[in-house]
Amino acid sequence: MRTDVLHAVRLAKLDLTLVFRNTTALFTVLLLPLMMAWLFTQTQGTATIEGAPAALYVLTGVPGLIVGFAVFINLVNSFTARREELVLKRLRGGQPSAAAVMAGSALGALALFLGQVVLLAIWIRRAEGATPVNIPLMLLAAVLGVAVFGLLAAAFSGLTPNAEMAQITVLPVILVMMVGSPVAFPTNALPGALGTISGLLPVTPIVKIMRSAFLGADHYTGTGRALSALEQWTGALPSLGILAGWVVVTALLARWLFRWEPRHG
Amino acid sequence: MRTPQLADTAETGAVGLENVIEVGGLRQKYGDFEAVRGVSFTVARGEVFALLGTNGAGKTTTMEVLEGFTPATQGTVRVLGLDPVRQRRGLRPRIGIMLQEGGFFGDLTVAETVELWKGLSEDAGRPVTLSGTEVPGRLSLTGWTKGINGATMGALELVGLENKARTRVKQLSGGQKRRLDLALAVLSAPELLFLDEPTTGMDPEARRTTWRVIEDLRERGTTVLLTTHYLEEAERLASRLAIMHEGRIHTYGTVDEVVSGSGDIVSFRLGGASRSYDELPFLDGAAPTLTYTGEGTEVVYTLTDGQAHVRAHAALSPLLAWADGRGEVLERLTVRRGTLEDAFMRVVGETA
Repeated sequence: MRTDVLHAVRLAKLDLTLVFRNTTALFTVLLLPLMMAWLFTQTQGTATIEGAPAALYVLTGVPGLIVGFAVFINLVNSFTARREELVLKRLRGGQPSAAAVMAGSALGALALFLGQVVLLAIWIRRAEGATPVNIPLMLLAAVLGVAVFGLLAAAFSGLTPNAEMAQITVLPVILVMMVGSPVAFPTNALPGALGTISGLLPVTPIVKIMRSAFLGADHYTGTGRALSALEQWTGALPSLGILAGWVVVTALLARWLFRWEPRHG
Repeated sequence: MRTPQLADTAETGAVGLENVIEVGGLRQKYGDFEAVRGVSFTVARGEVFALLGTNGAGKTTTMEVLEGFTPATQGTVRVLGLDPVRQRRGLRPRIGIMLQEGGFFGDLTVAETVELWKGLSEDAGRPVTLSGTEVPGRLSLTGWTKGINGATMGALELVGLENKARTRVKQLSGGQKRRLDLALAVLSAPELLFLDEPTTGMDPEARRTTWRVIEDLRERGTTVLLTTHYLEEAERLASRLAIMHEGRIHTYGTVDEVVSGSGDIVSFRLGGASRSYDELPFLDGAAPTLTYTGEGTEVVYTLTDGQAHVRAHAALSPLLAWADGRGEVLERLTVRRGTLEDAFMRVVGETA
């Protein structure tokens, strides 16, 4: 167990090193979500959404974009390229266990995600004067969110024949995350069943928890009223439940689809 | 001499020694394609055992089953007494693997790659001296960003990559990557080393360096299973070898045993006026084969029965009598012992 943890930490450190040596990855993982966040804030007026200034509402939902870029796209690219270049095979032929290899990638992605959320928090503090209210709840959402999208990335990499195709296979998920989640507007603004479906997508609970925990307000039901510390946790339970369900679903998908080596023949 | 053309489940083994690898009736299928079709052999502790064969012979597939990358479709496999798939965690620290290709992080430098690999090795703490070079002990988690550890440089010197320590792996040539791969495989001083075509793509000097490293490992008691296309590599390094073709082991034994199985070779060209190739005699039951080259037609007899090297001389009498009787001239008449290449080509030719 201790060895697995050590291996995972070393592999996470390796992942971070490699991201910072790859200009394309650095742009996609770090800059793109923040640029999109800036763009979204520019399209909002001075109105309020769910009781929060529009720009603040958008910025506190940006972790929903970050998890798509820093975790999902990053890991689909990484798993696919490493599989095709036989890096995963080499790791599997070494002493790290399969769990340590996967955990290493997840840890690296979590570090990237948290690093960007910290940058985002600094941005929000400077631009909007708000500071995070419930950091432990934000951390819990981050861990679950990275788990879901890390496992989903593992599954998608199994469907992706090569690193070039990874740019295409991630698109549907990213589009759904951008349009179907409450990053820039409440999902109850979506018509009919789309609003219900949106509420069940894995990115929606991440955004809702992050926003509610950051602002200490009710963005679960959309009233925007201030929540006590206890209410912040109890209000998050349905969203946490959805995320836990997605952890199970994506774990099964990853187990079914993930491949350590290119296909034979 | 052992008989070539073994039955599928025949055993190839060294008697009376502890077996580090035991394979029985191994079959491996990928979909409808059966890559390995009933292979059995054992490798004793301290041996260098070579699997020879053409592309697609099943060498790498066999090795990957032994390495625990994939479970056997059928048959039994024990490596160091363990099931390589189910008991992977116990086995991994005791073995070293050199893949056939690839598997590197291209954006890491050569030294970083070695240090990373040491960080991922449970028991890489034992320094080992090979070819006069000390292979490193355990490194710290933060090692690679703080300059090159002297022990890491030792590992690179072992394979002649010390001048490439700060080069990104993606900038190495194919042969240099093979050398790096070897350095990684021996880092943790494994009991058993799997080398899949270790010298493919290397220049002659690097190939000899690699051979010396393997010979040193053998002297230290490390068991080595290697696959190779290079027959001279197998002749130089292997205690025993097996020739695989189309998923089966066709002949095996020590180099001498396998070579003697290929018999003696009698060859010549007909230089007389009639050049009656159609009427060439059988020699000791062996039929002639004709090889057409730019210089003419070469007649070759392969004498494989019994003590062929003794009988080859006796076989010459009827040949000379035949030539005298027909006024044929036997140009460039040669009698030589068969080589490993002859044995290899015979296996490939017989089953083609």
